[in-house]
Amino acid sequence: MNKYESVLIARQDLGTSQVSGIVSDLTNVLKKEGGEVVRVDSWGLKTLAYRIKKNRKGHYVLLNIAAPATAIAEFERIMRFNEDIIRYMTIKVDAFSEGKNSSEDKETVEDAE
Amino acid sequence: MLFQRVKTLLKTKKQLKMRSKDNMNKQVFFKKKKACPFSGEDGMTIDYKDVKMLGRYVSEKGKIIPSRITSVSAKKQRELSRAIKRARYIALLPFVAN
Repeated sequence: MNKYESVLIARQDLGTSQVSGIVSDLTNVLKKEGGEVVRVDSWGLKTLAYRIKKNRKGHYVLLNIAAPATAIAEFERIMRFNEDIIRYMTIKVDAFSEGKNSSEDKETVEDAE
Repeated sequence: MLFQRVKTLLKTKKQLKMRSKDNMNKQVFFKKKKACPFSGEDGMTIDYKDVKMLGRYVSEKGKIIPSRITSVSAKKQRELSRAIKRARYIALLPFVAN
């Protein structure tokens, strides 16, 4: 079982409930292959630094996963076929990082207001 | 005798190098004694998700700033570069900024 960190960007046309539906589908796929999702962190709708597939904004979701390598291969395969996910990146990590970073900035802005 | 001559030759070469380097650095980059902000026990961690931190090591045009200006150690500069490229891939940082 290795530790992975996966960031995926979903199309801006989707609602937050649909995005969490996609995430739960992916979680089930991982569970079937013997992995588990340790943490799900949704950064919400953010403006992209450049246009991806004609989208200017996207729903960011961060997943911390502990799974065997075959489960990750299946996980990425499903994401490749899903048209709602416009970009994904899975990285193998030694330890899960605490703290959200991208959503931290958002929270501080809200507190200040 | 020969060895001594070689030694003196090397010394002057080194002095020449150092002198020209000093001149260059004095003109442009004055603070050369800064420590790497990531090394040591209380150094910052390099995380590709931390856009605010990464943005400090990227120029206005979006290019990665060389370590001779930011005084980041070589190993950390490689990690930083990798993190910036990952952040660019997931559109947290632009490839080219205007």
